[in-house]
Amino acid sequence: MRLDGNALAGVLVEALGTEMTEAPRRCQSCGAVNPVGAHLLYQGAGWVLRCPACGDVALRVVSLSDQHVLTFAGEWRVETPR
Amino acid sequence: MERLRVDWRVATVSGVVDETPSARTLVLDVDGWPGHRAGQHADVRLTAEDGYQAERSYSIASAPEDPQVSLTIERIDDGEVSPYLAGELRDGDQFELRGPIGGHFTWRAQEGGPLLLVGGGSGLVPLMAMLRHRAAAGSDARTVLLVSSRTEEDILYRAELDRLASEGDGLAVHHTLTRGTPEGWQGSDRRVDAEMLTEVGPPVADAPRIFVCGPTPFVEAVADLLVGMGHAPASIHAERFGPTGG
Repeated sequence: MRLDGNALAGVLVEALGTEMTEAPRRCQSCGAVNPVGAHLLYQGAGWVLRCPACGDVALRVVSLSDQHVLTFAGEWRVETPR
Repeated sequence: MERLRVDWRVATVSGVVDETPSARTLVLDVDGWPGHRAGQHADVRLTAEDGYQAERSYSIASAPEDPQVSLTIERIDDGEVSPYLAGELRDGDQFELRGPIGGHFTWRAQEGGPLLLVGGGSGLVPLMAMLRHRAAAGSDARTVLLVSSRTEEDILYRAELDRLASEGDGLAVHHTLTRGTPEGWQGSDRRVDAEMLTEVGPPVADAPRIFVCGPTPFVEAVADLLVGMGHAPASIHAERFGPTGG
Protein backbone atom coordinates (compact mmCIF):
# COMPACT_ATOMS: atom_id res chain seq x y z
CA MET A 1 0.00 0.00 0.00
CA ARG A 2 1.48 3.32 -0.95
CA LEU A 3 1.46 6.46 1.14
CA ASP A 4 2.76 9.93 0.30
CA GLY A 5 5.71 12.11 1.19
CA ASN A 6 3.89 13.52 4.21
CA ALA A 7 4.53 10.22 5.97
CA LEU A 8 8.27 10.70 5.51
CA ALA A 9 8.29 14.13 7.18
CA GLY A 10 9.49 12.81 10.54
CA VAL A 11 12.40 10.86 9.08
CA LEU A 12 13.41 13.80 6.89
CA VAL A 13 13.41 16.28 9.76
CA GLU A 14 15.39 13.83 11.86
CA ALA A 15 17.95 13.27 9.11
CA LEU A 16 18.19 16.74 7.61
CA GLY A 17 17.09 19.05 10.40
CA THR A 18 14.45 20.85 8.38
CA GLU A 19 10.87 20.47 7.22
CA MET A 20 10.99 19.01 3.72
CA THR A 21 7.43 18.19 2.63
CA GLU A 22 6.77 21.66 1.21
CA ALA A 23 10.02 21.64 -0.79
CA PRO A 24 9.44 21.50 -4.55
CA ARG A 25 11.33 18.78 -6.39
CA ARG A 26 11.92 18.60 -10.14
CA CYS A 27 11.98 15.08 -11.52
CA GLN A 28 15.13 14.07 -13.39
CA SER A 29 13.07 11.96 -15.79
CA CYS A 30 9.91 13.85 -16.69
CA GLY A 31 10.66 17.34 -15.42
CA ALA A 32 7.47 17.58 -13.35
CA VAL A 33 7.78 19.78 -10.27
CA ASN A 34 5.86 18.66 -7.21
CA PRO A 35 6.18 19.25 -3.46
CA VAL A 36 7.88 16.38 -1.64
CA GLY A 37 4.64 15.84 0.30
CA ALA A 38 2.80 15.16 -2.96
CA HIS A 39 5.22 12.39 -3.99
CA LEU A 40 4.27 8.76 -3.62
CA LEU A 41 5.88 6.67 -0.90
CA TYR A 42 6.44 2.93 -0.92
CA GLN A 43 7.70 0.86 1.98
CA GLY A 44 9.79 -2.24 1.62
CA ALA A 45 13.01 -2.90 3.51
CA GLY A 46 13.31 0.89 3.44
CA TRP A 47 11.35 3.75 1.95
CA VAL A 48 11.22 4.68 -1.74
CA LEU A 49 9.77 8.04 -2.71
CA ARG A 50 8.63 8.37 -6.32
CA CYS A 51 7.59 11.16 -8.69
CA PRO A 52 3.77 11.37 -8.75
CA ALA A 53 3.86 12.14 -12.48
CA CYS A 54 6.12 9.40 -13.89
CA GLY A 55 6.99 7.13 -10.98
CA ASP A 56 10.75 7.49 -11.21
CA VAL A 57 12.70 7.34 -7.97
CA ALA A 58 13.10 10.59 -6.04
CA LEU A 59 14.63 9.32 -2.81
CA ARG A 60 15.61 6.10 -1.14
CA VAL A 61 15.80 5.95 2.64
CA VAL A 62 17.29 3.15 4.68
CA SER A 63 17.08 3.59 8.43
CA LEU A 64 19.63 1.59 10.38
CA SER A 65 19.98 1.40 14.14
CA ASP A 66 22.43 4.29 14.29
CA GLN A 67 21.89 6.27 11.08
CA HIS A 68 19.60 7.14 8.20
CA VAL A 69 21.01 6.68 4.69
CA LEU A 70 19.37 8.90 2.07
CA THR A 71 19.99 8.75 -1.69
CA PHE A 72 18.47 11.64 -3.63
CA ALA A 73 17.56 12.02 -7.30
CA GLY A 74 16.32 15.02 -9.23
CA GLU A 75 16.48 18.65 -8.18
CA TRP A 76 15.32 19.53 -4.68
CA ARG A 77 14.86 23.15 -3.70
CA VAL A 78 14.91 23.75 0.03
CA GLU A 79 14.43 27.12 1.68
CA THR A 80 15.25 27.29 5.37
CA PRO A 81 15.26 30.13 7.87
CA ARG A 82 18.77 31.44 8.68
CA MET B 1 22.95 24.65 8.72
CA GLU B 2 21.45 24.77 12.16
CA ARG B 3 19.51 21.64 12.78
CA LEU B 4 15.84 22.05 13.49
CA ARG B 5 15.39 20.03 16.64
CA VAL B 6 12.31 17.92 16.86
CA ASP B 7 12.90 16.55 20.29
CA TRP B 8 10.97 13.84 22.03
CA ARG B 9 8.90 15.47 24.76
CA VAL B 10 6.85 14.11 27.63
CA ALA B 11 3.11 14.16 26.98
CA THR B 12 0.79 13.83 29.97
CA VAL B 13 -2.79 12.75 29.47
CA SER B 14 -5.12 15.33 30.97
CA GLY B 15 -8.34 14.02 29.50
CA VAL B 16 -9.81 11.31 27.31
CA VAL B 17 -12.90 11.67 25.14
CA ASP B 18 -14.61 8.63 23.63
CA GLU B 19 -15.56 9.87 20.18
CA THR B 20 -16.98 6.68 18.68
CA PRO B 21 -16.97 2.99 19.71
CA SER B 22 -13.50 2.66 18.14
CA ALA B 23 -11.93 6.11 18.44
CA ARG B 24 -10.71 8.07 21.42
CA THR B 25 -9.25 11.55 21.77
CA LEU B 26 -6.31 12.05 24.10
CA VAL B 27 -6.02 15.60 25.43
CA LEU B 28 -2.38 16.16 26.28
CA ASP B 29 -0.21 18.57 28.17
CA VAL B 30 3.12 18.53 26.34
CA ASP B 31 6.24 19.98 27.98
CA GLY B 32 7.62 22.78 25.83
CA TRP B 33 5.26 22.23 22.91
CA PRO B 34 6.41 24.77 20.27
CA GLY B 35 2.99 25.17 18.65
CA HIS B 36 1.75 23.72 15.39
CA ARG B 37 -0.11 24.42 12.17
CA ALA B 38 -3.50 22.88 11.46
CA GLY B 39 -2.95 19.68 9.50
CA GLN B 40 0.39 18.68 11.03
CA HIS B 41 0.99 15.41 12.82
CA ALA B 42 2.97 14.13 15.78
CA ASP B 43 4.92 10.96 16.39
CA VAL B 44 4.20 8.89 19.48
CA ARG B 45 6.84 6.57 20.93
CA LEU B 46 6.11 3.86 23.45
CA THR B 47 8.90 2.01 25.22
CA ALA B 48 8.38 -1.35 26.86
CA GLU B 49 10.20 -2.44 30.01
CA ASP B 50 12.61 -4.50 27.93
CA GLY B 51 13.52 -1.46 25.83
CA TYR B 52 11.44 -2.41 22.81
CA GLN B 53 10.10 0.72 21.14
CA ALA B 54 7.18 1.30 18.81
CA GLU B 55 6.52 4.55 16.96
CA ARG B 56 3.37 5.74 15.22
CA SER B 57 2.24 8.99 13.60
CA TYR B 58 -1.08 10.60 14.50
CA SER B 59 -2.67 13.75 13.14
CA ILE B 60 -3.22 16.57 15.58
CA ALA B 61 -6.92 17.28 16.08
CA SER B 62 -6.68 20.47 18.13
CA ALA B 63 -6.37 24.02 16.84
CA PRO B 64 -3.02 25.80 17.06
CA GLU B 65 -4.78 28.25 19.39
CA ASP B 66 -5.43 25.46 21.91
CA PRO B 67 -2.66 25.23 24.53
CA GLN B 68 -3.26 21.49 24.82
CA VAL B 69 -2.55 19.02 22.05
CA SER B 70 -5.28 16.56 21.12
CA LEU B 71 -4.76 13.35 19.18
CA THR B 72 -7.70 11.27 18.02
CA ILE B 73 -6.75 7.63 17.71
CA GLU B 74 -8.68 4.97 15.85
CA ARG B 75 -8.30 1.63 17.58
CA ILE B 76 -7.09 -1.17 15.35
CA ASP B 77 -7.97 -4.28 17.31
CA ASP B 78 -4.95 -6.37 16.37
CA GLY B 79 -2.66 -3.32 16.38
CA GLU B 80 0.41 -2.93 18.51
CA VAL B 81 0.01 0.65 19.72
CA SER B 82 -3.52 1.93 19.13
CA PRO B 83 -5.31 -0.47 21.53
CA TYR B 84 -3.10 0.90 24.31
CA LEU B 85 -3.43 4.58 23.34
CA ALA B 86 -7.14 4.41 22.56
CA GLY B 87 -8.07 1.92 25.25
CA GLU B 88 -5.86 1.72 28.31
CA LEU B 89 -4.36 5.17 28.85
CA ARG B 90 -5.77 7.13 31.78
CA ASP B 91 -5.50 10.69 33.08
CA GLY B 92 -2.00 11.34 34.31
CA ASP B 93 -0.37 8.64 32.18
CA GLN B 94 2.66 9.75 30.22
CA PHE B 95 4.35 8.84 26.93
CA GLU B 96 6.84 10.34 24.51
CA LEU B 97 5.76 12.57 21.66
CA ARG B 98 7.58 14.66 19.08
CA GLY B 99 6.36 17.25 16.67
CA PRO B 100 4.86 19.08 15.06
CA ILE B 101 5.79 17.30 11.84
CA GLY B 102 4.90 18.04 8.22
CA GLY B 103 4.07 21.19 6.30
CA HIS B 104 2.60 20.28 2.94
CA PHE B 105 -0.79 19.27 4.35
CA THR B 106 -1.45 22.42 6.39
CA TRP B 107 -3.71 25.45 6.24
CA ARG B 108 -3.44 28.82 7.95
CA ALA B 109 -6.48 31.07 8.29
CA GLN B 110 -4.67 33.96 6.62
CA GLU B 111 -4.33 31.84 3.48
CA GLY B 112 -8.10 32.18 3.10
CA GLY B 113 -10.52 30.12 1.05
CA PRO B 114 -12.57 28.84 -0.47
CA LEU B 115 -11.75 25.46 1.02
CA LEU B 116 -12.93 21.99 0.15
CA LEU B 117 -12.09 19.44 2.84
CA VAL B 118 -12.81 15.76 2.18
CA GLY B 119 -12.23 13.21 4.92
CA GLY B 120 -12.65 9.46 4.98
CA GLY B 121 -12.99 7.89 8.44
CA SER B 122 -10.23 9.08 10.76
CA GLY B 123 -8.92 11.17 7.86
CA LEU B 124 -11.24 13.77 9.34
CA VAL B 125 -8.77 14.41 12.19
CA PRO B 126 -6.36 16.90 10.51
CA LEU B 127 -9.33 18.54 8.75
CA MET B 128 -10.93 19.03 12.17
CA ALA B 129 -7.80 20.89 13.29
CA MET B 130 -8.31 23.18 10.28
CA LEU B 131 -11.97 23.79 11.17
CA ARG B 132 -11.13 24.43 14.82
CA HIS B 133 -8.38 26.81 13.71
CA ARG B 134 -10.80 28.51 11.31
CA ALA B 135 -13.26 29.06 14.16
CA ALA B 136 -10.63 30.15 16.69
CA ALA B 137 -9.13 32.63 14.23
CA GLY B 138 -12.55 34.07 13.39
CA SER B 139 -12.12 33.17 9.73
CA ASP B 140 -15.15 33.31 7.48
CA ALA B 141 -13.38 31.57 4.58
CA ARG B 142 -16.06 29.76 2.63
CA THR B 143 -15.55 26.10 3.49
CA VAL B 144 -17.18 22.83 2.59
CA LEU B 145 -16.44 19.71 4.63
CA LEU B 146 -17.44 16.38 3.14
CA VAL B 147 -17.12 13.48 5.58
CA SER B 148 -17.38 9.84 4.60
CA SER B 149 -17.99 7.42 7.48
CA ARG B 150 -18.99 3.78 7.59
CA THR B 151 -22.01 4.13 9.86
CA GLU B 152 -23.60 6.94 11.82
CA GLU B 153 -21.95 5.86 15.06
CA ASP B 154 -18.53 6.03 13.38
CA ILE B 155 -18.81 9.77 12.68
CA LEU B 156 -16.13 11.66 14.60
CA TYR B 157 -16.89 15.00 16.30
CA ARG B 158 -20.53 14.86 15.21
CA ALA B 159 -21.95 17.32 17.74
CA GLU B 160 -19.12 19.80 17.31
CA LEU B 161 -19.46 19.67 13.53
CA ASP B 162 -23.20 20.35 13.84
CA ARG B 163 -22.48 23.30 16.08
CA LEU B 164 -19.76 24.75 13.83
CA ALA B 165 -21.97 24.37 10.76
CA SER B 166 -24.80 26.24 12.49
CA GLU B 167 -22.68 29.34 13.16
CA GLY B 168 -23.61 30.81 9.79
CA ASP B 169 -20.04 31.88 9.05
CA GLY B 170 -19.62 30.16 5.72
CA LEU B 171 -19.05 26.54 6.76
CA ALA B 172 -21.15 23.76 5.27
CA VAL B 173 -20.82 20.14 6.46
CA HIS B 174 -22.08 17.20 4.44
CA HIS B 175 -22.02 13.58 5.64
CA THR B 176 -22.15 10.40 3.66
CA LEU B 177 -22.42 6.88 5.09
CA THR B 178 -21.11 3.89 3.17
CA ARG B 179 -22.45 0.98 5.22
CA GLY B 180 -26.07 1.73 5.86
CA THR B 181 -28.06 4.71 7.01
CA PRO B 182 -30.43 5.16 9.94
CA GLU B 183 -34.05 6.08 9.45
CA GLY B 184 -34.54 9.73 8.59
CA TRP B 185 -30.89 10.18 7.52
CA GLN B 186 -30.42 13.54 5.83
CA GLY B 187 -27.01 13.01 4.25
CA SER B 188 -25.78 10.82 1.40
CA ASP B 189 -25.70 7.02 1.47
CA ARG B 190 -22.87 6.03 -0.87
CA ARG B 191 -19.15 6.39 -1.50
CA VAL B 192 -17.98 9.83 -2.56
CA ASP B 193 -18.53 10.25 -6.29
CA ALA B 194 -18.33 13.06 -8.85
CA GLU B 195 -22.02 13.84 -8.51
CA MET B 196 -21.66 14.32 -4.76
CA LEU B 197 -18.56 16.47 -5.11
CA THR B 198 -20.32 18.62 -7.71
CA GLU B 199 -23.43 18.93 -5.58
CA VAL B 200 -21.84 19.87 -2.28
CA GLY B 201 -18.44 21.28 -3.27
CA PRO B 202 -17.50 24.74 -4.50
CA PRO B 203 -17.50 25.24 -8.28
CA VAL B 204 -14.26 24.45 -10.09
CA ALA B 205 -14.21 28.08 -11.27
CA ASP B 206 -13.80 29.23 -7.65
CA ALA B 207 -10.43 27.44 -7.55
CA PRO B 208 -10.78 26.11 -3.99
CA ARG B 209 -7.82 24.90 -1.96
CA ILE B 210 -8.54 21.22 -1.46
CA PHE B 211 -7.46 18.88 1.32
CA VAL B 212 -8.22 15.17 1.11
CA CYS B 213 -7.30 12.76 3.89
CA GLY B 214 -8.13 9.15 4.62
CA PRO B 215 -7.07 5.63 3.69
CA THR B 216 -5.01 5.44 0.48
CA PRO B 217 -7.80 4.02 -1.76
CA PHE B 218 -10.22 6.72 -0.55
CA VAL B 219 -7.75 9.56 -1.09
CA GLU B 220 -6.71 8.38 -4.54
CA ALA B 221 -10.30 7.85 -5.68
CA VAL B 222 -11.36 11.31 -4.50
CA ALA B 223 -8.26 13.02 -5.93
CA ASP B 224 -8.86 11.34 -9.30
CA LEU B 225 -12.49 12.48 -9.28
CA LEU B 226 -11.47 16.05 -8.48
CA VAL B 227 -8.87 16.15 -11.25
CA GLY B 228 -11.46 14.67 -13.61
CA MET B 229 -13.85 17.49 -12.68
CA GLY B 230 -11.22 20.02 -13.70
CA HIS B 231 -9.66 21.01 -10.37
CA ALA B 232 -5.98 21.89 -10.70
CA PRO B 233 -3.83 19.02 -9.41
CA ALA B 234 -1.62 21.52 -7.56
CA SER B 235 -4.65 22.74 -5.58
CA ILE B 236 -5.27 19.24 -4.22
CA HIS B 237 -3.36 18.40 -1.05
CA ALA B 238 -3.62 14.73 -0.22
CA GLU B 239 -2.58 12.81 2.88
CA ARG B 240 -2.82 9.05 2.82
CA PHE B 241 -3.29 7.01 5.98
CA GLY B 242 -1.90 3.54 5.56
CA PRO B 243 -1.77 0.31 7.48
CA THR B 244 0.97 1.16 9.96
CA GLY B 245 0.55 -1.84 12.15
CA GLY B 246 -1.86 0.13 14.33
